[in-house]
Amino acid sequence: MRTALALLLILALASVAGSLVPQVGVADARIAQTFRDHPLRAQIYDRLGLFDVFGSWWFTLIYVLLFVSLVACLIPRTRAAVRNVRSRPQPARELDAMRHYAEHPVPEPPGRVIERARRVLGRRLFRVEASPADMTDGSPLALAADKGLAREVGSLLFHWAFLLILVGVVWGRGTGFSGRAVIVEGQTWTEAHASYDGQIREGRLFGEDHSGLRITVDDFEARYRVPSGIPEEFLTRARLADADGRRLGSVDIRVNHPAAAEGVKIYQFGYGWAPVIEVTKAGEPIASGPVVCEQDRAPEGVSQLQLPWNCVVKLPTLEPQVGIAFTLWPDIRGLTSLLETGTSMPMLVRFDPVMTFVAYRGDLRADQPVRTNDLDTSVLQRWTEGAVGAGETKEIGDGIEVTFEDLRNYTVLEIKRDRGLWLLLAAAILILVGLLPALYTSRRKVWVTAEADGDGSLVRVGGFALQRRPQFEDEFARLVDAIAGTPRTAPEREEVRT
Amino acid sequence: MTDGGWARISTDAFNVALWSYIAGMLAYFHYLAFRRRVVWRIGLSAASLGVVAHMVSIVARGVAAGRPPWGNMYEYSSLLALLVVAAYLVVVEGMYRIRTLGGFALAFSVFTMAIAVQFLYVGPQPLVPALNSYWRQIHVTSMIVSSSLLALGSVITIVYLVKDRFERSATPPAISGGSTDLDRVENAPPHFEAGADEPAAPARPARRGLLPSAAVLDRVAYRTLAFAFPLWTFGIITGAIWAEEAWGRYWGWDPKETWSFITWVVFAGYLHARATSGWKGRRAAVIAMVGFVSLLITYYAVNLWIVGLHSYAGV
Repeated sequence: MRTALALLLILALASVAGSLVPQVGVADARIAQTFRDHPLRAQIYDRLGLFDVFGSWWFTLIYVLLFVSLVACLIPRTRAAVRNVRSRPQPARELDAMRHYAEHPVPEPPGRVIERARRVLGRRLFRVEASPADMTDGSPLALAADKGLAREVGSLLFHWAFLLILVGVVWGRGTGFSGRAVIVEGQTWTEAHASYDGQIREGRLFGEDHSGLRITVDDFEARYRVPSGIPEEFLTRARLADADGRRLGSVDIRVNHPAAAEGVKIYQFGYGWAPVIEVTKAGEPIASGPVVCEQDRAPEGVSQLQLPWNCVVKLPTLEPQVGIAFTLWPDIRGLTSLLETGTSMPMLVRFDPVMTFVAYRGDLRADQPVRTNDLDTSVLQRWTEGAVGAGETKEIGDGIEVTFEDLRNYTVLEIKRDRGLWLLLAAAILILVGLLPALYTSRRKVWVTAEADGDGSLVRVGGFALQRRPQFEDEFARLVDAIAGTPRTAPEREEVRT
Repeated sequence: MTDGGWARISTDAFNVALWSYIAGMLAYFHYLAFRRRVVWRIGLSAASLGVVAHMVSIVARGVAAGRPPWGNMYEYSSLLALLVVAAYLVVVEGMYRIRTLGGFALAFSVFTMAIAVQFLYVGPQPLVPALNSYWRQIHVTSMIVSSSLLALGSVITIVYLVKDRFERSATPPAISGGSTDLDRVENAPPHFEAGADEPAAPARPARRGLLPSAAVLDRVAYRTLAFAFPLWTFGIITGAIWAEEAWGRYWGWDPKETWSFITWVVFAGYLHARATSGWKGRRAAVIAMVGFVSLLITYYAVNLWIVGLHSYAGV
């Protein structure tokens, strides 16, 4: 037990480190900042795995050792508990040597007294065992009773449940996946490895069995309080269909209200803007459709809602090739405020959306791995720039025209499958169910004998409690009175007044 | 009535509660020192008045914000302070009939409220969508109730440590040495430990001291902490369920999660220590103190200084 406790403590200390040093996935920006400001310290932290404590080999080592030592503790304890549960209460000698002892003369014969004692103890949920004794030769009738096995059983349940948690976590993560889907309003997205565009983490035991679920996003809505900018609602309205195209119904996916279908859960994760842009040359369309725009991360003290959205349209078929970098302002007042006062304002609603753009000419380097929304401007020449409002068309030169046809939202959904959840829920229930008796019940044993004494008999009661002894004192007194059949005189409530 | 009107009622009632607690705290400390019954009555009345005003404040706050009034740090702190006083009145005065600890419990609440009103106050406002879940109500409620009980138990433990030191220095050392093994139980199988809720040593002959005997303090503190622990466990579990609903992961080692786990580990260590002979009493109490510090870090430091998902509620 000591080893397990020590390891638990070490685990807690490691967690302290993990909460003080910025962690991968929780505070990436602060990690980058540490690398900029304190390169040496960042190097050392990185080597020690301090930026990813909870995924580091040594953290894993600690909890694996913890579980090993826990199991090593639990196996002998479980064996002993099973023995205890199976065995019946054992008879005892020398009741008067027990911590609690009482004897009472009673007017009834021993058999009646023992019968009453059996009822009294049974009613109080003691396990009662009658000792084989013979009335005829006057030897005392005897009972052995005990109660409170739930304490040890509960404690064992509580501790084994942690092993179940480990199993649930490993099984759930191993066989599951979680990824992000970017879906523009009006589009249908199919749940398959390729659809995630690399934004997916699949477990090691994962068997490529994606669900094939189809999600058609009809509408996305982001509502903010005006003017505070406190978010009020993020809502994706979607229709679901299974891999064979059978309709599964419509769902509203919002924060705190994930949808579930085909074994996966769908969470509202984020959203963005996708302007529908058509590019034509001499009247012939060369590119058209919604373009997913992204935002930079807002610097400290600036609301994310003040920032415009950026996206790129690449036209590799033209000679020379053309790339257009768009900057979208879903609310034109953000742009006008920036031009007039030097700072933008939070854009809470769609209001006369406008895009500014810069067009480049030259080599797009389509052979290089470049992100969709990035332009490698090192080999491109700046060509023209301008602005285009929703519904407008602008010529950028050489007969190339850009139309800002429509502004749509895209929603970012987190798609997840975790088959270990029910194990974790079961473990959580076991932990609570086990903890209560483990803390609040106590193991106690009571023995009763009765022997003929003149017309009546003499009853002896002995017992002790292994825990909660102050309470047992009172309980024992009540038991003795009930067994002896004497009415209980109301006890003075002992008051600890100081 | 307007939301602004309710908000003002809430603030006024909060101030009444705070000043009542301060008055009650002074009266209780006076009673501790001089044992004037009338002063105890004043303290009890002031604390009770404070509780009533405090309840009014919290209900009015809920009406003003249009939601249950535990949505940010100011509101948590207010509720925590109320629950510590209420738990003191019900458990320590009501069940254990101890009157001398009121000053300490009230002092904790006064501090909590002063910090809340000084550094954490924000006007009533609606919640962001991520906080809008019924799991949140269950999670936050159990966390606040268990925090208040852990805080109360820890405060009593501090008093225990002081009193125990005092008793030790006042008692001549036993001649027979330390290994009288008072915990041994007759007829017990060897692997059984003595009861966790029993004081490390039997009550020493009651000196007429300022405070309840160390043994009584120790027992009351243990009971309170042992009651709070399953509730804290339940709070962590419901938090995980809520996180699964809101963020799609039940546990992410976010700083708030991490620190609630650390606090859980420390108090689990405390409970184990209580069941281990040789670790009861002072040593276990020291572990509880570490737990108290961890609780305060979980409660304050994580929201104010450490960045994570829970802190998007800010203060």
